[in-house]
Amino acid sequence: RHPLATFFHLFFRVSAIITYLFCDWFSNSFVACFVTILLLLSFDFWSVKNVTGRLLVGLRWWNQIDEDGKSHWVFEAKPMPTRAASTEAEARIFWLGLIVCPVIWTVFFFSSLFSLKLKWLALVITGISLQTANLYGYIHCKLGGQKSLS
Amino acid sequence: FPGLADVSISEDIPVEGEITVPVGSRSPDEDYSTLDEPVKDTIMRDLKAVGKKFIHVMYPKKSSTLLRDWDLWGPLVLCVSLALMLQGGSADSKDDGGPQFAEVFVIIWFGAVVITLNSKLLGGTISFFQSLCVLGYCILPLTVAMLVCRLVLLAGSGTVSFIIRLIIVVAMFGWSTLASTAFLADSQPPNRKALVVYPIFLFYFVISWMILTFTPQ
Repeated sequence: RHPLATFFHLFFRVSAIITYLFCDWFSNSFVACFVTILLLLSFDFWSVKNVTGRLLVGLRWWNQIDEDGKSHWVFEAKPMPTRAASTEAEARIFWLGLIVCPVIWTVFFFSSLFSLKLKWLALVITGISLQTANLYGYIHCKLGGQKSLS
Repeated sequence: FPGLADVSISEDIPVEGEITVPVGSRSPDEDYSTLDEPVKDTIMRDLKAVGKKFIHVMYPKKSSTLLRDWDLWGPLVLCVSLALMLQGGSADSKDDGGPQFAEVFVIIWFGAVVITLNSKLLGGTISFFQSLCVLGYCILPLTVAMLVCRLVLLAGSGTVSFIIRLIIVVAMFGWSTLASTAFLADSQPPNRKALVVYPIFLFYFVISWMILTFTPQ
């Protein structure tokens, strides 16, 4: 039902990984690659958090600060009574993309650590934190939603 | 409301705020209006929030509503542009200026995290991401200073240009520090304010130092 959202959900994450792997082919400049991957990771984080999560699986999480300055993390799940085949497929793609990519970035972390290409470490750590944050947020939503339905 | 008995609003602080309905009492149907909103609306809403914060940094006034909707887009953009402008400036730079770029990045983000941890450990009431947000946005005057310095360096790099750059950097450093303390110092207990302001001072000092000692190769 949301082909564009599905496409974008995977597009930014996969492009970031591909750019990281093949940055030597695209450009000689470390800075250009760094900035490109950083921007792709940020767009991915924003689009997964704000758009694809609510469109594909009806989950949402955010941080709210109330008047006395305390911050709450809010996790929401839209109750979905009937699941059509197309939404099942979309949900599967969503979770697959969400889980596989942080794993790949963790692999990059160890590979850059052990091959001593330390200048990429900042980028890989950023990638891991952003993608793991989304993963954690959505898992929390999902578990919270199940608790309230039972 | 017992707490309101001794609340007084002094005349010179403008009273502003947003009336927000607490999350728990929103009905699920109202929720779907933002849950199903078109993507363009989401983008415009976030862009406007970022723009508003930039304006708030340029004209700092005590406003607690600014802190409530934190976002890290502004700091990201500022950090990247500052790092881009600062690369290739050290004497032993390699061809692509790679290490300097990553160094600036790490200094800014790691420095901001350390200051935030410091203020939390001193008993501050501000949340982690709010503090990062404020510190990041207040780099704006220094980014402007970097831009101006690069333009001045295009014209020449003698004593006069150094004096001009010094004045600009000092002015912007002062602006950054004042802007960020205007937002952050309020969240600390009164006898700890200096302990919180000092690391912020140091953080912006290091960034100003990098800007001032930048010489293009």
